[in-house]
Amino acid sequence: MRELLLTCLLAASVFAQTGNFGSFTNSDDVGAPPLKGAAEFDASTGQYKITGSGADIWAKADQFHYVWREMSGNFAVTTTAKFLTEGIGHRKAVIMLRKSLDTDSPFVHLAIHGDGTPAVQFRNTKADNTNTVDFPIEGPGTWKLKLVRQGSTITVWLAKDGAPLRELGHTTNQLGSPILVGLGVASHTQEAVSTVLFSDVSLEQLPATAGTRQ
Amino acid sequence: MSTMRQLLLVCLLSASAFAQSGNLGSFTNSGDVGGPAIKGSTEFSNGQYRITGSGANIWGKQDQFQYVWREITGNFTVTATMQFLGKGAEHRKAGIMVRQSLDTDATYADVVIHGNGMPGLQWRSKQGEDTNAFDFPFDGPGTLKVKLVRTGVKIYMYIGKEGAEPKKLANTEVSFRNPVLVGLAVCSHQADASDTVLFSDVSVEAQTPPAPKAQ
Repeated sequence: MRELLLTCLLAASVFAQTGNFGSFTNSDDVGAPPLKGAAEFDASTGQYKITGSGADIWAKADQFHYVWREMSGNFAVTTTAKFLTEGIGHRKAVIMLRKSLDTDSPFVHLAIHGDGTPAVQFRNTKADNTNTVDFPIEGPGTWKLKLVRQGSTITVWLAKDGAPLRELGHTTNQLGSPILVGLGVASHTQEAVSTVLFSDVSLEQLPATAGTRQ
Repeated sequence: MSTMRQLLLVCLLSASAFAQSGNLGSFTNSGDVGGPAIKGSTEFSNGQYRITGSGANIWGKQDQFQYVWREITGNFTVTATMQFLGKGAEHRKAGIMVRQSLDTDATYADVVIHGNGMPGLQWRSKQGEDTNAFDFPFDGPGTLKVKLVRTGVKIYMYIGKEGAEPKKLANTEVSFRNPVLVGLAVCSHQADASDTVLFSDVSVEAQTPPAPKAQ
């Protein structure tokens, strides 16, 4: 009985190492940026402090710090993101959906850049170029971001400095299931890191799309 | 003298051939892309374009639609006010398109309004690839002023509804080789029907490249 308890404790402790991220299960760098990133989760506030380096999440390969879990089907992700460090205008904080941890994996993300440019960006197939939709710049601030996946439709919402969420629009994507869903930070330079505070993070599994066979 | 006359005749004939494709105001040519089963047509009069187009879609790996175009190089701005005439499929689309060639699977970027009023920014990054799209929130059909601006690889989209000044919605990035084709496109989103769209206040403005710096 004691042995069993000990095993349980050990297992819990091992699990905690990768499981102390609230809504998520893991944290690591993607694309091996020279400066290592980090993620801290404060269970009392539910906040994530994510520090990431990396040239960019762009073109054919990505470098950033990622906090994720695996998900399938339909879901909604919401968070509020605020840059805590100065840096390059195009440093990014993102809600990231990703096929794998490969640097050139297909992905879709909703990004807020350091200068306050919102964007939806995606790589359709492995090692392909990144596509972008950039929205008019609104300046730096605290941004609420929401992304919903329903079947192949991905819809995004945005709000600055406490304003009500407004829909930006939607795109279609064939990432499929399961995928990795999480938060990412890229400094847009290999010589520095950026830190972003993510709060009010919610991850909600949504029912299967009506008429879609699972 | 006889040679001179022949030359003059050739000149007149070629001028006439040019006029046939040149009576399109801001544009030089019109035709169907992708060989839709029902032929499209374009009428230009009183500064307005009445463009009728059929075609399965502008989507996926290949496109079918009626196109009215000209060739252009460098940066430019195109604006048009557009309105669907008659009823049709909800996702019939019309708008301003930049296209690398007349191939059905050519690289392109467009700013379109769907029949139900939904604005969309669409692009095919490379010939033969799938279309990418981002669709914007909307509140129903109407008369829309659309504007497409090309600045380097960036394609900007502006929309204004019912007389409002066009507002910037977004931009994407597509690499074209110069020159490109730019023009107006209409697609019925069904192979067995066609749709007509009235385009007015059309302008094509090429931005002159900055003067070379003094050496």
